[in-house]
Amino acid sequence: MAERPSALVVVQRYGDVSGGAEAHARTLVERLATHLDIEVATTTARDYWTWANAFTPGLTWINGVAVRRFPVERGRARDFRLREHRAFAAGHSLSDEIAFVDAQGPIAPDLLEHVRARGGDFDHVLFFQYLYHPTVNGLPLVPERAVLVPTAHEEPAIGLTVYRRVFHLPRAIAYNTDEERRMVQRRFRNERVPGDVVGVGVDVPSDRDAPRFRSRHRIDGPYFLYVGRIVQGKQIRELCEAFARWQDRGGTHATLVLMGQAEMSLPAHPAIRPLGRTTDEEKFDALTGCVALLQPSLLESLSIIVLEAWACERPVICDARSPVVWGMTRCAGAGVAYRDPAELAEICELLIEDARLGDRLGALGRAFVERSYTWRGVVEKYLDLFAEVRARNT
Amino acid sequence: MTRRVLVVVQRFGEEVTGGSERHARVAAGRLARTHQVEVATTTALDYWTWAEHYAAGTSDVDGIRVHRFPVASGRVPDFKEFEHHILFEPHTLAEEQDWPRRQGPHAPELLEFLHREGDRYDAVLFYTYIYEPTARGLPLVPERSALISTAHDELPLRLAPYRELFHLPRAFGFLTPEERALVRRTFRNDEIPDVVVGIGLDAPPAHDADDFRRSRGLDGPLVVYLGQVSEGKGCDELLGGWARMRDRAGAPAATLVLAGTVRMDVPQRRDVVALGRVSDEDKFAALAAADALVLPSRFESLGIVLLEAWQVGTPVLVPAHNAVTAGQTRRAGGGVVYETLETELTSLLGDRDRGRALGARGRDWVERECSWATFDERLLELVDLAAARDG
Repeated sequence: MAERPSALVVVQRYGDVSGGAEAHARTLVERLATHLDIEVATTTARDYWTWANAFTPGLTWINGVAVRRFPVERGRARDFRLREHRAFAAGHSLSDEIAFVDAQGPIAPDLLEHVRARGGDFDHVLFFQYLYHPTVNGLPLVPERAVLVPTAHEEPAIGLTVYRRVFHLPRAIAYNTDEERRMVQRRFRNERVPGDVVGVGVDVPSDRDAPRFRSRHRIDGPYFLYVGRIVQGKQIRELCEAFARWQDRGGTHATLVLMGQAEMSLPAHPAIRPLGRTTDEEKFDALTGCVALLQPSLLESLSIIVLEAWACERPVICDARSPVVWGMTRCAGAGVAYRDPAELAEICELLIEDARLGDRLGALGRAFVERSYTWRGVVEKYLDLFAEVRARNT
Repeated sequence: MTRRVLVVVQRFGEEVTGGSERHARVAAGRLARTHQVEVATTTALDYWTWAEHYAAGTSDVDGIRVHRFPVASGRVPDFKEFEHHILFEPHTLAEEQDWPRRQGPHAPELLEFLHREGDRYDAVLFYTYIYEPTARGLPLVPERSALISTAHDELPLRLAPYRELFHLPRAFGFLTPEERALVRRTFRNDEIPDVVVGIGLDAPPAHDADDFRRSRGLDGPLVVYLGQVSEGKGCDELLGGWARMRDRAGAPAATLVLAGTVRMDVPQRRDVVALGRVSDEDKFAALAAADALVLPSRFESLGIVLLEAWQVGTPVLVPAHNAVTAGQTRRAGGGVVYETLETELTSLLGDRDRGRALGARGRDWVERECSWATFDERLLELVDLAAARDG
């Protein structure tokens, strides 16, 4: 039996941090750790906006995985919004783009030194997210062993010239969804880079308890749920306004529950209940009792929360303009899409009125997740991808 | 099918010397016969300072549109120290990444041009891995690029800025099979297709070997060296080997002719003649008059002078430690690969029939491998590979 293959994982934040992509990275790393000698290289940042140094630099162990943290020398620049604006404007220059990537951060020179010095000791170097400085500048140091998990979606940044190399260099690309792969290949013409749709796995606890959630937060009657960062880019304001209007115009009484850190102000309305950041237990309790999960964001590459809703046998309501979320939902047959606020209201009414419809859609969602999103299947696909990379490097 | 092709090279023009620049110019000219070719380059003529020589802007050179971009900074004054620091001393990654800029030519507008206009071309051919226009330019248009790396087995090839360069292009154009082997061995990038393009050669100009001997008073067997006369080109080893051969009792009578700019102290001997730079006609006359050409250099990306010697049927001697010239000579069968120059040279000068036979084989090989038809076919294949968009 051959030695266990080894992998270095490069990700901008790791451990007790918020964020879907980071949570996904951590779960995946812990699952892969049973098959590979794995080590994480990350920064000392906890929050993705300032990238302020919050953790101690150096080696630490998280759930049995060795994690090396490197200090952030420069976090997000104060003039980031200006840099972003310039880089996204038509007719912008290459130097605008380079300034944008630098201003976005996190710039951690020791992390890059580590990738250069130690990357070659690992069979694989796995980079999470195409967008940030550590990937843009670290991946070109070890292209022959790099595997990229881009978590790309249609957003202005992906059109920048500086990202082209990131999608042409790796030995392999692990896409989360088929939609993501199609979008990336259409944009970059990088079909020559072997890429598999590995997906993600979904785990939900079995001791989920909706009444526990209701009583803790004193929520009666039907409620709809949003879980995720509460930021303007995710269409939250539009969602709240549409929900409030529906309620104000005599809609069946219902509550919109928002879980997640609020990074914008929310309209004050009795039917809207922001709960802030919650525990995983509360999240799954809430998912289990909701009429439906609302996913208004247009830019998701893969919405883990949608899969979790389905795993809890609840349907999803999404925006028909979101290519990935609506694509997945249609494929699963486990939800409904709206094109405007009026349709959103109609859908909410319909699902409250016909509880069996929601249950049927939720059951389809559950079946879809069990078919395509088990961690066992995901880990197997990663291991196959890694084996292919090793075969080409020996 | 006519394609839009852009050739990116650090210097471009008739006055520009240098193997890779010459190759770029020849390739652009040949491709322009079937494709719509443009060139992006700098205003530099000199590869050390990269000082401005040509005017910036777009002009026509032999019917090809040439876009010249200003050099914002040339080679930094302390480059030699910097080079030593990076190659032999502990240093940071950031310093290493700065190599292409400090080496020059740093031409940010050329990179902006690629960012802005790159998508207008079906294929972009980048010449010479080591300079910034290629190292920083190719990553901007990887999906339509080919790299003609002209790589040698040298330390900078392993530096961080060049790592990605050998994994990004759609295709490689190599000058020789030895360059291909070096790049494959160093980067493990077998999945990227390549073409060994070699070079095409015009027939030699009219030349007169007898007149060359007469006008310079040269009698008896001649051994010729062509090119810059310097230690860097291995001429010290050549002169050492020559002296050891000639100073032995019973050595063959012969004269060593050095044709090229002299950049070292050449010992005063009656059997060594330094001519300085010679015309193209005299170059071929010297080769035709010679019993053998010696090319002692350690680094050579192609060794065009070998091909020219073979064009006029003259055998060559090359050192075994130069994989490229040794490989070329073995493939062509047009000469001798030596461990010890004086031994092989003595033996070759002592057997003129063998020398003639080797020269004839070299000539056959060149006529076959360096014809314009062969070169064009390989170049067009390279462009097709770079322009392919479907995985």
